[in-house]
Amino acid sequence: MSEHRSDGAVAPKNASAPENTAAARGPCTGDERPMNDRIRDYLVDRFEAPDLKLRGVERIAVGWSHETWLFDATWTETGVARTQGLCLRRDPGNALLREMSDLALQYRVLQCLEPTVVPTPRPFFFETDPAVLGAPFLVMEKVPGTCPSPWGRDGRQFYQDAAGRGVLPDSFTDTLVALHTLDWRAAGLDFLGVPGPGRDFARLEVAKWKALIEASEHDPDPVLIDLIGWLEANAPQTDRLALVHGAYRTGNLLIHDDRISAVLDWETQVIGDPMYDVAYVLSDLNREGTELLSNLVERDAFYRRYEAGTGIAIDHEACRYYQLLYAMRSVAFWMSASGLFATGRNRDLRLARTAWSVPVVLDRAARDLGY
Amino acid sequence: MAPDELLEQIAAILRHEIGPTVADPFAKTQAFMASVILEKLARQLRLTDDHEQADRDERATLVDDMERLVGTAPASGVRAALTGARTGGQGEMCRLVEALYAGRDELGTERFDALLGRIRLTLRAGLDRQLEYSS
Repeated sequence: MSEHRSDGAVAPKNASAPENTAAARGPCTGDERPMNDRIRDYLVDRFEAPDLKLRGVERIAVGWSHETWLFDATWTETGVARTQGLCLRRDPGNALLREMSDLALQYRVLQCLEPTVVPTPRPFFFETDPAVLGAPFLVMEKVPGTCPSPWGRDGRQFYQDAAGRGVLPDSFTDTLVALHTLDWRAAGLDFLGVPGPGRDFARLEVAKWKALIEASEHDPDPVLIDLIGWLEANAPQTDRLALVHGAYRTGNLLIHDDRISAVLDWETQVIGDPMYDVAYVLSDLNREGTELLSNLVERDAFYRRYEAGTGIAIDHEACRYYQLLYAMRSVAFWMSASGLFATGRNRDLRLARTAWSVPVVLDRAARDLGY
Repeated sequence: MAPDELLEQIAAILRHEIGPTVADPFAKTQAFMASVILEKLARQLRLTDDHEQADRDERATLVDDMERLVGTAPASGVRAALTGARTGGQGEMCRLVEALYAGRDELGTERFDALLGRIRLTLRAGLDRQLEYSS
């Protein structure tokens, strides 16, 4: 999970965690062999390839959620050399959104999306046995592409250049259209939970993030209580349900040859109001120093292409509501993050720092509520 | 040396002397974050007494104003919460806001809006104080 911070920063995507920590070896197995060896042994077994080797193993820190390794596996199959780029994500057990970000769920979502037009990494394996790598993990395809952070100078330049060429902005919108026009029932995604008619979806989302706030054991805040009260009292009607990604923006999308090659970060997806995603795209939180949505797409072009592609008219009132809901969600993230540090479950000082992000997000929400 | 000054000096040493000598990127980030946190704590500590006094003053005025606005409305939950808010802290303010939303029907739209508008003035002032050390 890499959540945008309403105080103008994002959860870091590139401050690597130390490689030689107990966490990197896997604390629960008693197996002290290097991680690379243990990954290779697992894949030898799963691919039934005794000569399998790993190349270019790289541990990356994507947000504060699951630990991620990228590598290529090479082996021989019926005399023919094979290479498969892979991505392994492990649940460290003490990461942000631990209560809500379930690798088993992510794996199932990826399985459901694999045969659809929504570009996602192909899932290979999901392993629950902690004896293997110390914690549950999934293995999926390493999709070609890059994922520049929109918050850094290089990333901003990347998206500005891509905006000028015009192909990637259309791909950004078309991929969201694909997501929102997907027959999610046919794809088998109804296991995510289907909200009832009317205001059920928004109320369920508010309840979900409220539960995370309560679990954080953070000191109560009256501005947050006001925000939640307003959200509960003003939940919009949802006429149409779609698969909602929940964090659809540049930085969560893999890009190859000026096109979206994969939608990443399947951690907040839900069956719900497509305006929930649209509000996120429209939010000025997801762009920096530019009028381009998500640092990439012209607003008018997004409206035209999205509405034409989905047949859904963008509902501004609903989007305003969901932007306030995102403020509540951000508060939930930061309270949860600082709570992980405060309770000693995670010693990363970046999590401790987020406690001071809460008033900044609430300031923005209060202004949106008119005070 | 006052505690807030001590924290600021430690923060400066972490940022300018210790952090730059750390080679490991993760540890370097941690040193920088420690510096940021200490700077915020120093500001928070320096402002605590003034902020607490302002909070108390604001709450007393708020409760007077809200009691007047509630008037004779049948809103027992709000009245009870007001009693707690006069001398309480953030928790009591939370209960007051919750009671306000819960008593919306009893209060009627006009009175509810007036009460919410009034409490938001106090919430805004408190938020502005928090932003003095948070942002």
